[in-house]
Amino acid sequence: MGNINKYWKGLEELNNDPKFVANKKNEFAQGIPLEEVLTDSDGEMQSNRRDFLKYFGFSISAVALAACNNTPVKNAIPYIIKPENITPGIPNWYATTCGACSTGCSILVKTREGRPVKIEGNAESPVFKGGVCATGHASLLGLYDNERLRLPRKDNNESTWATVDTEITQALASSKNIRIVSGTNTSPSTKKIIAEFTAKYPSTKVVGYEAISYAALIEANKRAFGKAVVPSFNFEKAKVIVSFGADFLGTWISPVEFTKGWSKNRKAEDKKMSRHMHFESNLSITGSNADYRFPIKPSMEGAVLLSIYNKIATATGAPTFSIPTIEIALNSIDLTAKELLAAKGESLVISGSNNIDNQLLVASINSLLGNIGTTIDLDNYSNQVSGDDAAFEAFVTEMESGAIDTVLFYNTNPAYSYYNADKFKQALKKVKTTITTNSSTDETGELCKYQTPDNHYLESWNDSEPKLGYFGLTQPTITNVFTTRQVQESLLKWAGNNSDVYTYIKSNWEANILMAGETAWNKALHDGFFMSSPKVASTASAAALLSDIANKATVNYTTNLKNTELKLYTKVGLGDGTHANNPWLQELPDPISKACWDNYLTIGKVTADQFNLKQGDVVTLKAGKTTIEGLPILIQPGQANSTIGLAMGYGKLKGKVASNFGKGLGKNAFGLVSFENNTFSYNASNGITLTKTDDGYELPLTQTHQTIEGRNLLREASLNEYIKNPSAGNNEHAHIISLWEEHDSKGHKWGMAIDMNACTGCGSCVVSCSAENNVPVVGRKEILNSREMHWIRIDRYYSFKNLATGKPSTKEKEYDNKDNNIDFEHVTVMHQPMMCQHCGHAPCETVCPVLATVHSSEGLNQMAYNRCVGTRYCANNCPYKVRRFNWFKYRENDDFDFHFNNDLGRMVINPDVTVRSRGVMEKCSFCVQRIQASKLKAKIENRKMVDGDVKTACQQSCPADALIFGDMNDATSEISKLFKNERKYVLLEEYNVQPSVGYMTKIRNVDESIAGEQKAPVKHEEKHEEKHEVHSNEAHAHS
Amino acid sequence: MSYESPIRDMLITGGKTYSDITKEITRPIENKPSKAWWIGFGLSSLVLALWLFSTTYTMLVGIGAWGLNKTVGWAFDITNFVFWVGIGHAGTLISAVLLLFRQKWRMSINRSAEAMTIFAVICAASFIVSHMGRPWVAYWPIPLPNAFGSLWVNFNSPLVWDVFAISTYFSVSLVFWYVGLIPDIATVRDRAVTKARKFWYGFFAMGWNGSTRVWHRYEVISLILAAISTPLVLSVHSIVSMDFATSLVPGWHTTIFPPYFVAGAIFSGFGMVLTLLIVAREVLNYKDYITTEHLDAMCRVVMLTGTLVGLAYITEFFVAAYSGVEYEQYAFINRATGPYWWSYWIMMGCNLLAPQVFWSRWARTTPWFIFIMSIIVNIGMWFERFVIIVTSLHRDFLPSSWTMYTPTIIEFGILLGSFGLFFFFFFLFMKFLPAINMAELKSIVKTKHGLELEKHYTDLLNNNHKMANNAHDTKGDSVHGH
Repeated sequence: MGNINKYWKGLEELNNDPKFVANKKNEFAQGIPLEEVLTDSDGEMQSNRRDFLKYFGFSISAVALAACNNTPVKNAIPYIIKPENITPGIPNWYATTCGACSTGCSILVKTREGRPVKIEGNAESPVFKGGVCATGHASLLGLYDNERLRLPRKDNNESTWATVDTEITQALASSKNIRIVSGTNTSPSTKKIIAEFTAKYPSTKVVGYEAISYAALIEANKRAFGKAVVPSFNFEKAKVIVSFGADFLGTWISPVEFTKGWSKNRKAEDKKMSRHMHFESNLSITGSNADYRFPIKPSMEGAVLLSIYNKIATATGAPTFSIPTIEIALNSIDLTAKELLAAKGESLVISGSNNIDNQLLVASINSLLGNIGTTIDLDNYSNQVSGDDAAFEAFVTEMESGAIDTVLFYNTNPAYSYYNADKFKQALKKVKTTITTNSSTDETGELCKYQTPDNHYLESWNDSEPKLGYFGLTQPTITNVFTTRQVQESLLKWAGNNSDVYTYIKSNWEANILMAGETAWNKALHDGFFMSSPKVASTASAAALLSDIANKATVNYTTNLKNTELKLYTKVGLGDGTHANNPWLQELPDPISKACWDNYLTIGKVTADQFNLKQGDVVTLKAGKTTIEGLPILIQPGQANSTIGLAMGYGKLKGKVASNFGKGLGKNAFGLVSFENNTFSYNASNGITLTKTDDGYELPLTQTHQTIEGRNLLREASLNEYIKNPSAGNNEHAHIISLWEEHDSKGHKWGMAIDMNACTGCGSCVVSCSAENNVPVVGRKEILNSREMHWIRIDRYYSFKNLATGKPSTKEKEYDNKDNNIDFEHVTVMHQPMMCQHCGHAPCETVCPVLATVHSSEGLNQMAYNRCVGTRYCANNCPYKVRRFNWFKYRENDDFDFHFNNDLGRMVINPDVTVRSRGVMEKCSFCVQRIQASKLKAKIENRKMVDGDVKTACQQSCPADALIFGDMNDATSEISKLFKNERKYVLLEEYNVQPSVGYMTKIRNVDESIAGEQKAPVKHEEKHEEKHEVHSNEAHAHS
Repeated sequence: MSYESPIRDMLITGGKTYSDITKEITRPIENKPSKAWWIGFGLSSLVLALWLFSTTYTMLVGIGAWGLNKTVGWAFDITNFVFWVGIGHAGTLISAVLLLFRQKWRMSINRSAEAMTIFAVICAASFIVSHMGRPWVAYWPIPLPNAFGSLWVNFNSPLVWDVFAISTYFSVSLVFWYVGLIPDIATVRDRAVTKARKFWYGFFAMGWNGSTRVWHRYEVISLILAAISTPLVLSVHSIVSMDFATSLVPGWHTTIFPPYFVAGAIFSGFGMVLTLLIVAREVLNYKDYITTEHLDAMCRVVMLTGTLVGLAYITEFFVAAYSGVEYEQYAFINRATGPYWWSYWIMMGCNLLAPQVFWSRWARTTPWFIFIMSIIVNIGMWFERFVIIVTSLHRDFLPSSWTMYTPTIIEFGILLGSFGLFFFFFFLFMKFLPAINMAELKSIVKTKHGLELEKHYTDLLNNNHKMANNAHDTKGDSVHGH
């Protein structure tokens, strides 16, 4: 090429001047004047000692600093082609149907960058109206359960779908008797697919199995009304609700829907409320919210029902039956019958019992009262629960005989939940081909030849018909996380139909449900549900003959009079144990006992004293042939005397969380279930013995003090008192002198009102908050150390009655004293949700040395996590004790091996909320990320924010609408109105911390005076109403 | 400048000469350490190792290593902190306040009391750092100009006041102690026979030459520093008490706290001085310098301050009852009768009742008995802080959050270990520095001649007041003997 410079910087370059060529080799043509810099002005030394030390020191520190930086390299991979509809940072919402249980609530799923991060209720649903229960919220975490099967399994080894498909198809072809054991299945398309499968393999039969069975309810309605259905219950239409152990606000059939209906009729402002009476053995959340609660033994239920029946029959001219006088306190039968008769056609009697006789009595009472067709709808019935206990019993026997070739378990786990699990397991060995579709290896799956894991419902196409004419659609919100396949597709494939589930469901809907085309389908998919016009509910009267039942009820009552009886129950959240591996649910405190991570025997104080037991003792329980060892005792106020309660759903062997890493978590109580009169019985009356052992056991409780100690922090009144004086029970207000400057409150000022009249204590908000705000799970041991991290808690207080004085007793020293006449059986309960009160004069803010917690211009008390040094002074100075400290590093720490400790589980983290580090304080932020998002949205839309734009996670999830959040500076907002309501009060008003959270007095629909017993200076209100008004105003001014 | 009452008993016994004092007090420095010293130092080092382990473990794992919980955010950590800060107070009181009041008896004990102050404050400071959730940012409560943005400290927070109070206290105490040491360090330097000793003591003597000029400056700076330190005796523990008093926790929110805490601090400080000196006078054979009269004087202070804190306890109860605030009332009833009743009664027993034995002169002058009492006083004062902190926090406003606090083994390790930290320094101090202020001591020592004269005058005084004038003329000898 030669040395041809086409472009040159100067003639030197062009000429290849030797001096230039030599200089060209140096990077810096000019040379660096380093020498000059380092040389003293007098030129004596090139670099003096001081400079040397300076540079030396700098280099050392720079190297040291650089060496400190061991931040691991993490790769962030950008989208090369941006997926349609996904904008980083902007959530997408999908309407779908909750698959946590068979209730089928309509929900919305929030996804961020293609992964679901939050579940919320679908407020547009006419049936569910926008609430979600704790289990529903937590089912999101089930999607990211690290123990879900990643591939199909054969003989407990990983296999491929091709292999298992081939083998299963062959096995099915040669099978003579095929059974599908299915949990409650409300899906019309799945039913159609099963029908198709049955057509291909005609020996197929479906066996319905539910661990918590409603067989008796269905059977009783069949016998009484000729309709084998679970009716729909209209709580909003009922003026009097009488429940016999049906925990309809917590665990019974469709709690969210029922809570919505129930709470509609419990608004004090309407000046009328439903009267809710509750008979039960264990204290349930429904019982804790009842106006009148009557503790009864399980064996008494029939007799009590019959007595009430007799009273009503006498009044309505129906035949009565002889029954001995029942020893039951408070004249409950007369009162109940009187109330029911006064609300004929507008009352509702229900029973949670799985005993056909009791359910028949209930049906008869409702029939006499004319409730069928008004509060009870047999025509627009519910599919949400099922149970055919006799069929399953027959199936087990059939298996034992070896007559069954192939069995497929869909959504059931009988090896865990069947009362005679050993018998079942033995029988299962005689079946040639066993298939389970459960998504992780559970007790049944372990025994099955093939495990063909179903998708999580958030990955699936599906539909449901929870109520006749109300259809829900389930759509995937994420592509399959693992190589799983939904049951519907498997069944179709095995039946030789290769169409995909989406097409199948769509065509089924268009042909049979919507009776319309694409547009209707798209609307249904958008809404998440479709509702056809409901049938007109017809009236009916019970046709059953009760004389036989009357005898049985009498015998049952008299023979068990002296027995200690056992009542099994399911806990809110954990239910039958299907979700036992879900750490959010394990850590959710039981709404009543406030215990988490365990089950235990609940026992009343009187009975415990008889057995010489105290809290933390460990007993061996014998019931018939079944023995359970190592059961801890929990003294439960409100528990009926001579009864004990035990929660099912614990004692799992499978699942890291469910089994407490193999160490065991609670005891399996399903072994105590029995099969009686064609149904599973969840109580036992005969042969119960308790043997105290020398062991002790500490139960993990989030609340260890049970009463309010006479402090004026829980305010309540009876409905009558409220009607006369809306501020009844709430007329003590502090006279405040402030030393503080008030904060500016221009713009927004956020606040929350909590209606204690509506709050049932269900705990849905607790899980919702954990999901929204990335609250870590701390585990059993840390709960024992009182270090739960929940940002919202529901305080539950008992009030006992002193039988001698007739006054309520809330002081520990009174009810701990054995000489006192404290009634531990009849207890009143108050639920008080508690979160950061966002005080105007926040005690936490003044004491923080580094200003890590400060007041925002919108009235929020904010935490700057990365400024916090962790002195914990703020938590000490918080009068509400709502601040939570990160005692440990809760993520990527093997000591806390929950979802924060694995990559899959961490996918549930809400990207809008910081995950807090060890050593910093945290607390409720009023979902500030939601406030900011809503403000941004309003700004983009160039409008002012309107009331309801922001809903906090707790508020959104509340089935009872007990939490109302909003802008207190907006005069039209609901919160502003509520803060002017006479029922509103703030806790610890006299300390002038000016909380932004207001509580509304609880109004109970009882005849007795409540507020009058408080310190309030209101007396003789009936005679001198005028005077009383003046009096209470004075109290306002002076107290 | 000094006046000595001929009535008062001698402050130093044994008829020491200046030379005796120098020899005896420099003996531990110039000779190989005794067996007793090695045992003490070895034990302290072991316990210090426990402190290092427990503290390091906490830093690695998190505050969760302790028994604290959602309701009780402070317990052993701040109890220990207040306890050690309190211990320090006697040092300042002895060196500064008693200097200003010209209490000469302080001269035998002020050096070790000041050393105790410094080491106690070091222990206390260690708890400030280790109780933090993120100790690596422990410097944030200091108002340092920074590049983090507009981050500043919260001057409303008593914890920031603490930072100022403790750091001021520490620096003033350290300077005061060091200034006092200079003449003695110079003495050691002058007597040094090894090169190392000559170098190091020479270095720290800062060119002390014993001239009138340096002595003059020494006296002046001592007085100035004493004047600066004196308010610190009151301010430091007042501010520490405000950690509690400015909060709204029932049982903390009490205006009586500042004086009550100061009294408590002096009480516990003297308790600790007694513990240390009774051991030191045995181990180092300083019985002539630290006489039973010294012990007697300190016991009187202990009794006075113990009774003062007892009065405060009772006043608190009265005020709670009188306030009509049910939370306050419950907090105090709960202290005395709740689940931690035992800690309350330990406190009452040790702090109010036990010191009443010092009404008896025998009790004030019997070293082994005083030693036991001094331990009891310190146990009582530790429990006082425990009672204030834990029983107030564990049951406050909302009963739903009431819970119990149980310390873990790590917390016991840190508590015990902090004594290791303290004694580690203290044993080093006894070995390498003159444990008694030689220079000042020489100003109150009486030579043989002086003693005879004194006896003579005392007799005369007792018998005949006429001779008093004469006595005054001949007394000068004992004063200017540096």
